[in-house]
Amino acid sequence: MNITIDGKPCVCEPGEYLLDVARRNRIVIPTLCHHDGLPGQGCCRVCIVEVEIRGRRNIVTSCVYPVERECAVFTDSDAVNQQRRVVLALLRSRAPEADRINRLCKLYKVPEYERFASKSGEKCILCGLCVKACQSLGTGAIAAMNRGVEKEVSTPYDKPSDDCVGCGSCAAVCPTGAIEVKEDAASRAIWNREFRLRICERCGQPAGTMEELELAARKSGAEPSALCGECRKKAVADAMAATYGV
Amino acid sequence: MNCTVLVCCGTGCIANGSIDVTEALSRALLEIGADASVKTAVKQTGCNGFCENGPIVRIMPDDISYYRVKPKDAPAIAASIGGKPVNRLLFRDEEGKPVLSQKANPFYTPQRKVALRNIGEIDPGQLADYRARGGYEALKKALAMTPDEIIREVEISGLRGRGGAGFPTGRKWRTAAGYEAEPKYVVCNGDEGDPGAFMDRSILEGDPHTVLEGMAICALAVGASEGFLYIRDEYGLAREHIQRAISDAEEEGILGDSLMGGGKSLRLSVVRGGGAFVCGESTALMASIEGRVGEPRAKYIRSVQRGLWNQPTVLNNVETFANIPVIINEGGASFAELGTDNSKGTKVFAMVGKVKRTGLVEIPMGVSLRHLIYDIGGGVIGDRPFKAVQTGGPSGGCIPADMLDLPVDFDTLTQYGAMMGSGGMIVMDDRSCMVEVARYYVNFLAGESCGKCSPCREGLRQMLQILTDIREGRGKKGDVELLEEIGETMIGASLCALGKSAPNPVLTTIRYFRDEYDAHIHEYRCPAGVCPKLTAFEIDPAACTGCTRCKRACPTGAITGGVKSAHNIDQASCIACGSCRDVCRFGAVRAAAKRRLAV
Repeated sequence: MNITIDGKPCVCEPGEYLLDVARRNRIVIPTLCHHDGLPGQGCCRVCIVEVEIRGRRNIVTSCVYPVERECAVFTDSDAVNQQRRVVLALLRSRAPEADRINRLCKLYKVPEYERFASKSGEKCILCGLCVKACQSLGTGAIAAMNRGVEKEVSTPYDKPSDDCVGCGSCAAVCPTGAIEVKEDAASRAIWNREFRLRICERCGQPAGTMEELELAARKSGAEPSALCGECRKKAVADAMAATYGV
Repeated sequence: MNCTVLVCCGTGCIANGSIDVTEALSRALLEIGADASVKTAVKQTGCNGFCENGPIVRIMPDDISYYRVKPKDAPAIAASIGGKPVNRLLFRDEEGKPVLSQKANPFYTPQRKVALRNIGEIDPGQLADYRARGGYEALKKALAMTPDEIIREVEISGLRGRGGAGFPTGRKWRTAAGYEAEPKYVVCNGDEGDPGAFMDRSILEGDPHTVLEGMAICALAVGASEGFLYIRDEYGLAREHIQRAISDAEEEGILGDSLMGGGKSLRLSVVRGGGAFVCGESTALMASIEGRVGEPRAKYIRSVQRGLWNQPTVLNNVETFANIPVIINEGGASFAELGTDNSKGTKVFAMVGKVKRTGLVEIPMGVSLRHLIYDIGGGVIGDRPFKAVQTGGPSGGCIPADMLDLPVDFDTLTQYGAMMGSGGMIVMDDRSCMVEVARYYVNFLAGESCGKCSPCREGLRQMLQILTDIREGRGKKGDVELLEEIGETMIGASLCALGKSAPNPVLTTIRYFRDEYDAHIHEYRCPAGVCPKLTAFEIDPAACTGCTRCKRACPTGAITGGVKSAHNIDQASCIACGSCRDVCRFGAVRAAAKRRLAV
């Protein structure tokens, strides 16, 4: 089916998410809580756009809006810009230390809102990607606590979690770098817990935490790997080269 | 002659001691039973709606109602049966004349009971009571109809969802019936969370079978074989009654493997809510039933297509289901005779606040707010000036005095920024501060928002801060405009209906009571004399009679003065709670701006 985004004709399948259609057509829509590997959060509301169907315009959230009928989409209308500015300003006061939000605020010319109370030292915007990543891996060590304005993400009772394997996936998907990971040559500290790192036998770089490699081994049924991710790939390539004699 | 003594045992009356009253009445009747010509039976019923005056005892068939009955009144009531009524326990109308029947009571006379038709008349624990009043006849009738015929009847009735949004029930059922998927679910939303609203609780407690019957008819119409009743955790009695009703109906073969022996099955179960306001939102409610965190999802795909476990699901409110048996029994056209063009039937309102007669009121849609508040409610307590009525709970808004003649229906109030919602109605007098009202609701929502989407969570956080500032004298020029700006964004960009309607209390109070905001911000005063940081109370020595009521009511001992001499308030120890003003009978205590006195 055919739609237009900011006047540009775009082809899409029914049910495709609007954000995906826009990105395929190189139309920029800002996002924070969207991650290609963990889609469907739909909570930061930065990706709002206006959709016009049969003369009626509505603000929708492009990352979770399935295109079901022909429509005209506006990513840059006055209503979108105004609401996106307020959303960004609200997020900035929530997480004033998050560089990515400050950059977006600059890009979208968000004025200062002096009346907004800022949380000091905060980077987290409670998008929930970390929780989703942790759950998707089957660990579920972190979750959202409380409701409403008191909401936060943490381990149960803020105590070191037995379920956490220290893989750092939560930090990797965080759009604002809010999850602190401290790492030296032999250990990694995350979520109030310290993990010993296994050193890659080939390159001497950290291959991951013991717990993380054990979990991966348990799930795949293989022995825990003695190599880091990079070296594993190289080992496979070497084996293939030897087999085919390249 | 047989006689039944009905004792109201809704949650309100139980709190007022109606279980003790029941026992005392049974004892008293037993004592005089031997030589009485009248055979009596004591029955516990659901909520009569006039909870403020509970416990309520009705003598049938004489139709005499007694109010605020204490266990010690039991012998007098028992002795009066078949003879002269107990005068002191009767309701007094505005002229002070005693009223015997509920039919003559001004609180009940204008009411038209449809959803509440059985409540107060039957023992909710007795299936036979329900059947004696035509219960499950509608289900029997529906079993002989095709799904299309059932849905058509509901469509003709014009019934719209009573939970608040007012979506046409027939259309919802028709959409669900149109999907070929298997299984389908029917869900009853009993997570009533609006502060001050208790109509769903009353129906679940007082007439549980009508809800089950409505759900069973819905299941037949859409092709569902499993259903859930999501009832909030605080409603213990409602859960108990529903649970018992389900097992009784299953035992009788009405529900379960074969609906009334017709071969179609329906399994109903009760799910206990976790106590979150947001779980009244349909998608959050379904997430909660599935065992996930109660957070809404985007509803671009409706739950009627993909609801519980991604299957077609019909979710209706308790009161909606309670109307269904009537529609099937009497026909959709007869139901549609009540109400307005676009809002058919009746609506139950929970009228509370500064109104003389509070309680549950069921009236045809389209009557005016004035009729509701003045004719049924008896007007404002102490005949003080009416200021506003807050309708629709935290998602609703405040309607000012000059709009009292607006008809109450789904569409009119929405047009004016408020909403009828689930039917909560809080009456406010001139001593209610509208900034504080807005702050109260925003504070409630800030704690009850699920916190998933940023406009709602962060918007409420900033709104709460700004409103608190205004209330405490730290308001700034531009605050009102900023509140409006945040509100507009919340309406446009929030994820669910809770977030989209959360700014309503703020936006309507700004729209209709802007002067109060300005007085707080620019003149550093609270016109209603409510906000403690901006208010000082003073006693007019000319009006004060020295009765000492205020002195005794003051929690901080700030009032001095002897009997029959004018009293005085020591501003240093006064906390501006307003207790003195509330108790003064001579209008001698006045609220003033704090700064003026301090200077």
